[in-house]
Amino acid sequence: MASDGGSSSLQLPCVFSPKSRQYLALCAQDGRLRIWNTDNKTLHQEYVPSAHLSATCTCISWGPCRTVKEGPQRKKRKSEAVQVEERADLLAMGTAAGTVLIYSTVKGKLHCTLDGGHTGGVNCVQWHPEDSLIYSGSDDTNITEWDLQSGKTRSVWKADRAAITSLCVSPDGKLLLSAGYVIKMWDLETKEIYRKFTGHSTAVTTLCFATTRPPDGNGLYFLSGAAHDRLLSVWQVRDDGKDKNSVVSFTLTDEPQHVSLVPSNSKEEAVRLAVVCKDGQLHLFEHFLNGPCKKPLSPSCTVQLSDTKDSPAPIPLLAAALGAESRAVTLAYGNHLQPVMERVELNTSERHICLTRDVHTSLSLSMDTNVSKVKTPVVNAKSKVLVPGLPGHQAPKVASQGSEKRKKDIDTKEMSIAERLGEIDLVTVSSEKGAPKNAVSLQTDNFAVLLVQGLESNDPNILNKVFQNRKEFIIKKTVARIPLSAVLPLVQQITTRLQGHPISARLMVLWLKAVLMHHTSYLASLPDLVTQLGVLYHVIENRVKLFHKLTKLHGKLYLLTAQMATNTNISSVTDVDHAAKLVYEEESSEDEASGDEALPDEESDVSQEEDEMMVEEEDPNSRRESKTNGEEMDPENESEEE
Amino acid sequence: MVEHGEIRVVHRGGSKINFRQPVFTHDSRFLLCASANAVKVFSASTEECVHHLVGHTDLVTGLILRPSNHLQVFSCSLDGTVRLWDYDDGILIKTFVVGFPIYSIYASGSHDGVLFLTIPAKNDKRSDAFQLVAVQLPQSSEQLVEAREISAVLPDVSANPGAISFGRAGQYIASVCGLHLEVFFFKKQKSFRFSLKEENNKGIKNTFTCAACHPKEDCIATGHEDGKIRLWRNFSHKKEYTHSALHWHHDAVGALSFTPEGTNLLSGGVESVLVLWRYNQETQKDFLPRLGAAIAHIAVSPDGSLFCTAHSDNKITVIHSYVRVSAVIQGLVRGDRIWTDLVVDPRSKALVMNGKPGHLQFYSLQRDKLLYNLDIVQQEYIHESGLDQFEVVKVDFDAGGNWLATVEERKQNSAELELNLKLWAFDEQTQSFVLNTTVPAPHEDRISDLSFSPDRTTLLVSASRDGHFKAWALAPPTDAEDQSPSWCCDFVASYHGLAPHCCGFSADGSLLAVGFQEVVTVWSTASWELLTTLSQPPGHVRNLCFGRLSCSKYLLGTTTKNQLCCWNLLSCSLEWSTSMDVTLLLADPLSENMAAFCFEAGSTDLFVFKPSEPRPLFSHKAVCSGRVLRAVFSPREELLEGCEEDVQWLNSSRLFFFTPSMDLMTFSTKAEEDRLMASSKQLVIGDQVSMTPFNLLLGKRGQTEGQEVAAGSERVQPPQGSSAVKELLQTPAHVLPSTSYLCSMFVQSLLISTSDKREQNNVTEEEMESEKEEDDSEDEETQSSAVKPDVASGGGRTGDPTRPHGLTKAQTKELRRVRKLDYSWLRDLD
Repeated sequence: MASDGGSSSLQLPCVFSPKSRQYLALCAQDGRLRIWNTDNKTLHQEYVPSAHLSATCTCISWGPCRTVKEGPQRKKRKSEAVQVEERADLLAMGTAAGTVLIYSTVKGKLHCTLDGGHTGGVNCVQWHPEDSLIYSGSDDTNITEWDLQSGKTRSVWKADRAAITSLCVSPDGKLLLSAGYVIKMWDLETKEIYRKFTGHSTAVTTLCFATTRPPDGNGLYFLSGAAHDRLLSVWQVRDDGKDKNSVVSFTLTDEPQHVSLVPSNSKEEAVRLAVVCKDGQLHLFEHFLNGPCKKPLSPSCTVQLSDTKDSPAPIPLLAAALGAESRAVTLAYGNHLQPVMERVELNTSERHICLTRDVHTSLSLSMDTNVSKVKTPVVNAKSKVLVPGLPGHQAPKVASQGSEKRKKDIDTKEMSIAERLGEIDLVTVSSEKGAPKNAVSLQTDNFAVLLVQGLESNDPNILNKVFQNRKEFIIKKTVARIPLSAVLPLVQQITTRLQGHPISARLMVLWLKAVLMHHTSYLASLPDLVTQLGVLYHVIENRVKLFHKLTKLHGKLYLLTAQMATNTNISSVTDVDHAAKLVYEEESSEDEASGDEALPDEESDVSQEEDEMMVEEEDPNSRRESKTNGEEMDPENESEEE
Repeated sequence: MVEHGEIRVVHRGGSKINFRQPVFTHDSRFLLCASANAVKVFSASTEECVHHLVGHTDLVTGLILRPSNHLQVFSCSLDGTVRLWDYDDGILIKTFVVGFPIYSIYASGSHDGVLFLTIPAKNDKRSDAFQLVAVQLPQSSEQLVEAREISAVLPDVSANPGAISFGRAGQYIASVCGLHLEVFFFKKQKSFRFSLKEENNKGIKNTFTCAACHPKEDCIATGHEDGKIRLWRNFSHKKEYTHSALHWHHDAVGALSFTPEGTNLLSGGVESVLVLWRYNQETQKDFLPRLGAAIAHIAVSPDGSLFCTAHSDNKITVIHSYVRVSAVIQGLVRGDRIWTDLVVDPRSKALVMNGKPGHLQFYSLQRDKLLYNLDIVQQEYIHESGLDQFEVVKVDFDAGGNWLATVEERKQNSAELELNLKLWAFDEQTQSFVLNTTVPAPHEDRISDLSFSPDRTTLLVSASRDGHFKAWALAPPTDAEDQSPSWCCDFVASYHGLAPHCCGFSADGSLLAVGFQEVVTVWSTASWELLTTLSQPPGHVRNLCFGRLSCSKYLLGTTTKNQLCCWNLLSCSLEWSTSMDVTLLLADPLSENMAAFCFEAGSTDLFVFKPSEPRPLFSHKAVCSGRVLRAVFSPREELLEGCEEDVQWLNSSRLFFFTPSMDLMTFSTKAEEDRLMASSKQLVIGDQVSMTPFNLLLGKRGQTEGQEVAAGSERVQPPQGSSAVKELLQTPAHVLPSTSYLCSMFVQSLLISTSDKREQNNVTEEEMESEKEEDDSEDEETQSSAVKPDVASGGGRTGDPTRPHGLTKAQTKELRRVRKLDYSWLRDLD
């Protein structure tokens, strides 16, 4: 047991702050103490002990939380008290040189150094939960009790024949467990041995109390783990002293590296335990401590982490801390130099959980926030942009017939054979109807048949061929000849194509116009017209929305350019002006009526040009207006009828 | 409606730390900030708050280190008191009652026992005029002292604390106000006034904004509205003064400060760039850009090694003298107003609201600390006043925290509103939000409400003033190429062309209630059928809340016409209604309880009730003045076990709310406070720091510095014994600071100890010496001038509080030298 004492020092100390788990204190291979903030996952502080290479830090322990003093006032003044939650501040570090350093995270500096208590390296440090006392165990087989108020040792006693590798103070502050050659329980008042426990064959690395001390004797339990030992043992402290062997043991996959335990306060409450093993796995246990249990218990849940590469490699867990809620666990994983912290809610009903994490990106994301306090969420090309007009930007507007629509959808899917037959009949009838006209113009009929075929087979080649037609009369005739049953698929096809490229959309407008001209009556007879044409309506509405503004802008721009043009022309025009005045003097009164009309032409070119410009400015407007009336107002009117 | 003594409203933080200029302590380790009614002591290196100095009953308006003892600080407040604190231990030493609201405080080393305060002129609280007065601090051992010996110094000053500055060695004081610079010379008891024209021919505004005096030369730097900095010299003559202009800022200069030696001038403004001008070589400038927000104050540490800037977004940046940011102390970001509702992030349990422009801030309620800002808009913010830029206006999380929906808008004018709806997915692998879908212009008008369905089906509803509400759902990928599902519109509806104002889901997500002006419509989310309409005219519906758990059959609504209605959804009838002006109605997500904030007679009352019975479980009159518009229930980390009916509602959640003055408040029960008190026994730990070789060498002078100054006689102990030297020599060289650095300090410390002979021996210091003498003579003069106001006010000076009488001139000189010496390096060595 004693010969193996050195192995524990290979473990790098890594501890979460108590209560709210706000910080993670970690002493990495380079001897620096780093404090990480688990809230925003950034490096909070870094401290380099002056002798970090010669006297490396071997163990860390957070002091009990302190509450920031509220000041002297205890008046019940409304809304005055500054209420601040308790927070972790002091950190005790044991070094290989035998000193204990007290570091203040609030001030970011060393608070005090305690030395002169040990001749060997410190293996473990524990705070007294109530008083300002610290206990440290060392390679020199001594336990030292430090008084923090004076910074001196209060008592030193030889505890074992071997190095003291682990210590634990009971929650009530009356008992101390120490592990050396054997596990000993000390009464802290008298510094006398209360009990001895033997069982581990290697150095004990973990000791912790599993229950608070009950008023009756037999309910006190504690837990121990040792190096190279894949079992955690639970010991019961019995009043009758018959407590030679461990009562319960927990099986692990490797030696325990970090143990987090939520003690139970009563028999009805289970002890919850989270153990991080050396192989990087986390095991969760839940057990009601009540006397011996023969079989070793296996974990209720095992958690592993893997990276996102093609061949996933495990990411080692460094530490885990259980929260107040049963499923919330704070994890630290990755590298000791740059760990990643995360709060997860585990689904403990599963026995094995594997979490995939991308350590590198989450690290790079968190590093920037250190100074700027700004996090940038990921925006990549995969994100979808839903501009107005695309399907999904606006759903068909329904007041209250929504349920009907759904039922209809279901109906159309399941067509009875009779209906199908009827439909086939309809197709044949319509083609027969078209037959006499077939003779007149083969060309258009070909298109109509092609279109129907294309719509039925949904063949893009055929459809492209048909829709590429630009001639208006061909479109009109084609649309006029298609059977009624093909009208709706055609409208749907047009709708999807309208949402595409603007140039193809322009072609589609012609088709749509033709459909509306010929088949409005059929469309109007459809009961679910709104749902069928809703998308089309929104597409058109969105496309037209900016049209008015654009025409306005166009008009204004035209006005401007025309003005510019006239300004340049003005200089050449002035000569003409003079000439015109001379002509006026010679006019007779009779000719005035006729001359009046000619007058503005010759007299002032400027005004005339303005007139022209006005005319020209109106032109595009009127042209466009007619266009909108012809093409786009129609569908609007159509759907607004509903 | 009994006032319950059990529960009280407590301040939870989030208060401003940028209100006044922060103050560095003498050793540059701590930073003192005025924060609401308290003074906060921050560690300049760790950004942590070390102490709260609590005692003032109103806003703290100024802070200044006591010139005669650097371990003490004066703070002034609108409550009319000046308090003296020991910031290291967080102890209130003395309270001086002045009797007028104080707006700023100044002090100078050469005016001992006198404080200069800005108080309202003519003792009239209404007027906007302020005056600068000198207050003689009485000598008394009592804690509470009346300081009534007030004498006027300057009438008509600005209330802005940056507008007044002490000149070289306290000889004069410069004040800018409007278009005037006024310099008051204490020696002559005379003031000179320099005016600028309102606008020069280019139409540029000349108004003064701030002033700073050079510490070593007669030079005053003033900042102006148009971005110019003017350096005034030779101002002791009315006519022959000169001034030169420096122009870099394009907008008003917000703050100016000289470094202690006067070698650099620091300036900052709206551009959020710190400009470092070399004094007398003004063409050479250094810049520190991208500080994030407009600079409101600049402070420099007494040793000149650190600068700090206070920004308009409630942030303090600590900057090294080589122009690099070393620490950021960020409070709750408070812009002009809160646009978004308060939301609690289900993952981090942080409070989420809009923060910096275009960002969402995540604020830890447990620790009163900003976690981070999330950049939503992802556009460069242009630091110029008067620009319309994108602002996050709505935010919501789904129940599991996997989806975040944000709405950002830019309103150049109401006609051309730009809106973006963004949906972010939380990626567990990278532990970050990833943009999933952007919807430009989701509505034609402003979005009035945004809400996720509380059950696990992903459904989002946005209601807009354009008369529609849209339901957005996560749709499976349409194409084969993109694997990830994205959001698209599932349903649009309107109701008689009325504009919806609010919407809400029932607890199980099966019902959606949308308030269209006077009418509440209830829709089924499964079929999108309009199930029923409820209406209780007159008045538009303002808030809608479904009951939870056992009360889930109730729907509550509030109207603008002061009504709170409760409908029974099973019978579709009004269950009960009462008449009160409810500004905010909230449902606790973890219980049946509802909280209603009611506005009555100028203040807000809180009622907590269950929808099943129209009887309040708890009521609190006048939680604050004004209307409460934002509040949120946040789940507790540890459940409370309050048994009484009126505290039970606080068992699982806490209620936070913002007062109109943007203070974050909460309710705390007695049990909670007791528990907190019980666990708060202070650990008393001796402050014995590490025996480094240097510490042995130089003793514990750092801590006793202040006393040394006061006593004036104790000197540095010479190197103690050979052990220290031995240890110094044995320590590996690479652990030591550079020898040159150590040596100069070491030699200097030795020089001081032989004070009597120094004047003859030290040829090298002769120059400084002569300067000192000048200082001295001037000091005497200024002191005498400082006495004059006292005489005028009729009070005689009884004695000096700190400096003992009968000091010889040599001793005084020595004192000054000691004060200038900086021992802060000692602490760095720890």
